[in-house]
Parts: sequence; C-alpha cells; structure tokens
Amino acid sequence: MSKVIRLLEYVLVVLITIMTIDVIWQVASRYLFQSPSSFTDELAGFLLVWVGLLGAAYALGKRAHLAIDILPKKLEGRSRVALLMIIECCITLFSIGVMVIGGTNLVYLTFTLEQKSASLQIPLGYVYIILPISGLLMAYFSLNHMLESRKDIVK
Amino acid sequence: MSYPEIFILVFSFMILLGIGVPVAYSIGLSSMFTLLVSMPSLPAVTTLAQRMATALDSFTLLAIPFFILAGQFMNKGGIATRLIDLAKVLVGRLPGGLAFVNIISCMLFGAISGSAVAAASAIGGFMVDKMEKSGYSKPFSAAVNITSSTTGLIIPPSNILIIYSLASGGVSIAALFLAGYVPGILLGMALMSVAGVWAYLKKYPTDEGAALSEIIKKVLDAIPSLMLLVIVMGGIVGGIFTATEASAIAVVYTAVLSMLVYKEVKFEDIPSIFLETSKTTSIVMLLIGASMGMSWVMSFENIPQQVSAVLLQISDNKYVILLIINLILLFVGVFMDMTPAVLIFTPIFLPIVTDLGMDPIHFGIVMVLNLCIGLCTPPVGSVLFVGVGVAKISIQQVIKPMLPLFIAMLVTLLLITYVPQITLWWPRLFGF
Repeated sequence: MSKVIRLLEYVLVVLITIMTIDVIWQVASRYLFQSPSSFTDELAGFLLVWVGLLGAAYALGKRAHLAIDILPKKLEGRSRVALLMIIECCITLFSIGVMVIGGTNLVYLTFTLEQKSASLQIPLGYVYIILPISGLLMAYFSLNHMLESRKDIVK
Repeated sequence: MSYPEIFILVFSFMILLGIGVPVAYSIGLSSMFTLLVSMPSLPAVTTLAQRMATALDSFTLLAIPFFILAGQFMNKGGIATRLIDLAKVLVGRLPGGLAFVNIISCMLFGAISGSAVAAASAIGGFMVDKMEKSGYSKPFSAAVNITSSTTGLIIPPSNILIIYSLASGGVSIAALFLAGYVPGILLGMALMSVAGVWAYLKKYPTDEGAALSEIIKKVLDAIPSLMLLVIVMGGIVGGIFTATEASAIAVVYTAVLSMLVYKEVKFEDIPSIFLETSKTTSIVMLLIGASMGMSWVMSFENIPQQVSAVLLQISDNKYVILLIINLILLFVGVFMDMTPAVLIFTPIFLPIVTDLGMDPIHFGIVMVLNLCIGLCTPPVGSVLFVGVGVAKISIQQVIKPMLPLFIAMLVTLLLITYVPQITLWWPRLFGF
C-alpha cells in the first residue's frame, strides 16, 4: 500500500505542477503577449478533475477525509473494529458503485457517442476515465484499512 | 409526491455521518440510495458519476487550489509573523491588546490566505503561547484565536464565496468579494469588543507603546504581504482579471515573496508544498463533486420546491422566514462542513429568499457568516479542532470562554441579516 501511495504522490505533484504552469501561462499569454491561448483553460479544467479525484483517493489512503469520529472513538475492542469495518464497507460501496461502475459506464457512453472536448478535441472518455481509476484505488485503500483494523483485534 | 425520497436522503445521510463515514462519502452514498429508488440502477450511478466529474471541470473552481497553494507559501514563508508584528505595534497598547493583536492578525492572514484553518494554525500557534506568557488564560486565548480565524472567510479573497457563486448559478464573484469587507470587519470588531471587556475585567496586562521608528519599520516589513490583497482585489474588482487568474497571480507573488524576498522557503520545499496543496484541494473537491451530485438529486426529486412550500406555509413574513433559515443553517453548520452546506442549501434557500426580495449577494454573506459559527462548534468544527490542537488544550476547556464570543457572532449575524445595507452599500458603490 505504501508503494501505491508513493506513486500517487509523484503523479499528483506532476499533475498539479502542470496545472499551475498551465494557468500561469494562460494569464501571461493574455496580458503579456496579448494572444490568449485557446486550450489552456480547457486543459486546466481537465487537470483539476484528475487532481481532485486522484487526490481524493490519496487522501483516503492517508485517512485525511473529514468525518465525525465521536462514535468510533467511544467504542472499544470488537465493537470498534466492527464499526470501522462498516465504515470502510460504506466507502467501498460508493467507490465501486458510483465511481467504478457508474464511471465505467460514463466512459463507455462518451466513447460510443464520440464526445470530444471543444478546443483540444480530446475524447471526453479520457478525462472521465479517472473516475473508475480512482474508484478502484479508493476500494483498494479501504480494503487495506479493513485488514489493518483486523490485525488490531488479533493483537 | 416524493416524501419517501426525502426521507431516504435525510435519514441515510444522518446515519452514515453519525457512525463516522467521511462526510463526502456520506453525501455520495445517501444520494446514490435516493436515486436508486427512483431510477434503474445503471443510469442512477452513471448520472452521479457524471455529475461529480462535470462539477469539477470548472475554470472558476481552479481558483481554489491556487488560493490554497498561495496560502501554503504564506504559511511557510514567514508572512504570518510579519502580520502579527504589524498588528502588535498598532494595537498592542490597548487594554486586551494581545487579544486584539490575535484578532487583527487572523483577519489579515485569513483574508490573504482565504482559509480559516490556516489562520487558526499559523496565528494561533504563535499567539496563544505569547498571550499565555503575558498572563492571559490559555483557553481564553485559544477561544479568541478560533473565533477570529473565521473572519478571513468573509473578508476577501475567499474560497467559500467562490463556491457560493458557483452554487447560486453565477452571482458575481467581484460583488461578493466587495460585499464581504464590511461584515467581516464588523465581525472582527464585535469579537474585539468582547475580548476587550473580558481582558479589562480580568486585568490582563497591556504592551508598552512602541517607538515611532519601530512602528514604521514593522509597517514597511508587512507592506509586501499586504500588497497581495491590493493586487488580487484590485484586479478582480477592477475587472482586469478573473478570480482564477488572480489566484494564479497570488501563487506567483507569494512564491516570489517567500522564496526570494523573505527567503524562508527553499526550492527543495516545493514538492512537499505542492503535495500538501493537492491533498487539501482534493478533500474539498471530493466534497464539491459529491455535494453537486446530491444537489442534483434534490432538484430531480423536487425537494427545493417542497421545502419552500413548507416554509411559506409557516409564514410569509420575510423576517420570520429569514430567522427560520438562519436557525436551520446554524443547525446544519454544527453537523456539516461549510463547503457541502453551501453547495446543498443554496439551491434550496436562494429561490425562497430572492422571491421575498433579498439580494443574492446579501444572502451569500449571511449564509457564510452563519456557517462560520458552525466551524467553531463540535462535533465537526474544523477550525475548533485546529485551534485547540495548536493551543494543546481540550475542547471542554475552550467552550466556556468561547460563549461570549459566540454571542458576539450571533449578534453580528442578526445585524447582517436584517440590515442589508451593511452588506450591500459597498458593492453598490461599485455598481453591482
């Protein structure tokens, strides 16, 4: 799991760097060179989808999402582990249900309808493909968290 | 009739949130359950996936990662200490001086960084210790720090107002930013008056006055940091650039300032700053994607119309409705983070209040100010957690000194709600 997180860190830093340069370039091209570039804002939007969703999987791996943790903190022992399992199951259910299944169908639909982006002419399926990818990563992290909680109970 | 759908949405959301499922997943799952009742399964999940992805594909939203990135540079770049020094020479002499320093620094830092959490940690980490050393009680210092950190969300530039602009279907960001100044400063002054009285009653010590040369030096030191506000706001209000472009300029400006001028950030620090930014950004983005999904589900099930019908049944008096909406939002703010609350409740309440003749700009400020109070309360007050964290005290300790400050916030909220001129005269001056 730590290797996957490491890899995600590299990818995220690269993506957000490109996104930053892209938007700074857009501002510069508009004000300094008086020739606004036509694709930078579209690219930036797509990169934000990628950073947002991949980063959300990364944040899940790091357990950084906001939650009300009063109940999990109050419980102890077996009931605590049981609750943590239920929480992770809910996360997996959403990741698989909406992001992997819904996302894959969305990618399939946009490819068959041949939807392309306005200025870059990229098939939109390539943008949306990040949904199932990060859904799978989320499910993977969630399963790992479940295994970790189970180890705690064995101790 | 879709009462069963409302029931499923609200109850599944409350249960998921209550057992400790992360907020974004609770929002997403409860939307999924609701939609599965009224649609075949594959279209339901596909629609939600599509709503999530298209919600994030927005040039306006790009301002958020960039303001977060600029905030990161400021956090690590020594900008907080310069703002504290400035506030100190300006107000340190007054009774309750250090509390004022804390509040003003939070207002300045919160405004520049656009993040209440960043203000609470950057200013609180330094000021709470300092106040304790001068004889202030620690819980009081932390309470002042926590409540005043939220002022930066109303004083522009502010990410949450950008999100409101999106949720409201395009209220001008420049107008919202202009509208935020007076209420934000008013909130800061309300907190200062409570803190001042408290410090006077407890006879907390005051600083001796600084020499004029010292004052000039500290002001000059802080000017490059404050210039950012001038550039960003001047550009947006003057219509020279959009909020997103301004945020990109803020990144370049803070990077140059912290690396080349103040020299507190090194080149090697950049990957970790970028990584931290993408993590913070994605947490917000997943919330935005899920909330936009839920908001779509609600309008698909006609929930806004039903809520509106129920509200108007209770009363058709503008003031009563506004009071009810404020009470609902206060309740929501206690359990929900600000971003999803704004995205989910704006489409429900905004049509009602605009029908009653309220300006959407005014409602945005009321809503954000209202939800600021929730950021300082358990169980999901993110600013509260960071604030007690940097002060190293418990939530129970901080609640008592926070009560009078809460009252100040509530009084400000009522004032802002019922006297629209406070919010609107400044944007009106610029023709909005």
